[in-house]
Amino acid sequence: MSHDNSSPSFFQHHFHDVEQQYETSKFGMWAFILTEVLTFAGLFVAYIVYRSWYPDMFVGVHKLLDVNKGLLNTVVLITSSLTMALAIWAIQKNLKKLSIFMLTATFVFALAFLGVKFQEYHHKYEVGQLPGKYYSYMGPEVVEVIKDQEKIDYYTSSNNVYFDAETNRLYKTMNNPHIFFSIYFIMTGLHGLHVAIGMGLIAWLIYSTARGNIHQKYYTPMEMIGIFWHLVDLIWIYLFPLFYLIG
Amino acid sequence: MSDHHITPLRTYLIIASCLFFLSGVTVWVSYIDLGSFNIVLAMLVATVKASLVAFFFMHLLWDDKKNLVLFLMSLMFFGIFVVITMIDTEFRGALGFNPETKNPITKRASFYGQLPLTDTHGYPVDSHDDIHHGDDDHH
Repeated sequence: MSHDNSSPSFFQHHFHDVEQQYETSKFGMWAFILTEVLTFAGLFVAYIVYRSWYPDMFVGVHKLLDVNKGLLNTVVLITSSLTMALAIWAIQKNLKKLSIFMLTATFVFALAFLGVKFQEYHHKYEVGQLPGKYYSYMGPEVVEVIKDQEKIDYYTSSNNVYFDAETNRLYKTMNNPHIFFSIYFIMTGLHGLHVAIGMGLIAWLIYSTARGNIHQKYYTPMEMIGIFWHLVDLIWIYLFPLFYLIG
Repeated sequence: MSDHHITPLRTYLIIASCLFFLSGVTVWVSYIDLGSFNIVLAMLVATVKASLVAFFFMHLLWDDKKNLVLFLMSLMFFGIFVVITMIDTEFRGALGFNPETKNPITKRASFYGQLPLTDTHGYPVDSHDDIHHGDDDHH
C-alpha cells in the first residue's frame, strides 16, 4: 500500500499511502460531524431553556402534532439509515448493482420523509400554527372560554387571560404557544434541510457508483456521506420524542 | 482498502430491528403517565438508539478511537453549553436585585389579544361553545 507501487488513480500524492488517505478523510468527516452537533446544540439549548420556562405550554401544545406522522417518519428514516449502511456493505463486497439499488432506496425514503414533513407543515400553515408573529391559531386546544364568574374573578389577576368586550367573554390562553412552533419549525426545518442536502449527495453517489468512480477499492465518498446520513437519523431520534412524545 | 473491517449483514439487520423496536417502546411509554420520569425515560431510550446508530451504522466501534473521541467531545461541549446557559436562565433574579427579570418573557405576547378564536381547522368562530369536535377532527 505504499506509493512506490503502481498507485491507483484515486490516490493523492500528498498522502503517505491509501490507508492514510482514507483515515484522514474519515477524521475530517468526524470533525465536520462535531460542528454539526454543535450547530444543533444551540437549538437544543433553546428548546431546553424555553421548555423550563414554559413546561405546561410545551406539554399542552405538543398535542397539536400528529404522533402517527412522527412515528412514520422515524420508521422511514431508520429504514433509510439501514439501506445506506447496506449500500456501503454491498460496495465492500463488490456488489455494484445491489449498492446502487440500496442508494436509490435511501433516496426514495428520504423523499418520503420530506413528503410527510411537507404534509405536516402544510397543515400547520393552513391552521396558522406558525412561528413567532405569524402564529394565529386560537383553537380550543390552546384557548379556554371562561364563563364561570368565580373563575373570572380568579383569573383576572393572571396575565394569561383577556376580556373580549364584543362577545362579553373572558378567555384564558395557553401561555405563548407561538414559541413552541418557533422552536419546532427551526429545528425540524434545519433537520429537513439536512435531509434535502443528503438527498443531493446520495443522488451524486448513485451517479458516481454507476459511472464506476466509486468501487470496491475506493468507496470513501460513500462511507463519508453514510456518516452524514446517519447523523441526520441520529438527530431525528432526539427530535421525535422531544416534540411528539412529551408530557 | 481491502483490509477494512466489513460489518456482517446480520449485524446491520439486528441493529435495525432493535431501532424499530425501541421506537415502538418510546411511543408506548409516552402514553403511560410517569410524571417527570417520562422525559428521562424518553431521553434514555433515544440515547440507546443514538448509540446503536453511532457505534454500528457509523462504524465507530471498529474505527480508530480518535473519531469516537472527537464525537464525544462535541457532546461534552454541548453539556457545558447547557449547564452554563441554565445557570443564567434558571437563576435569573435569584440575587434579588430586580425580581422582574426572573422570568422576563412569560407574559402573553401582545398579539394574542388581537387574534380571533378559531376552530380546529383554523377558521374564525364566535365562541368555542358553538362547535363540537370529534377526536378525528385533528390534522
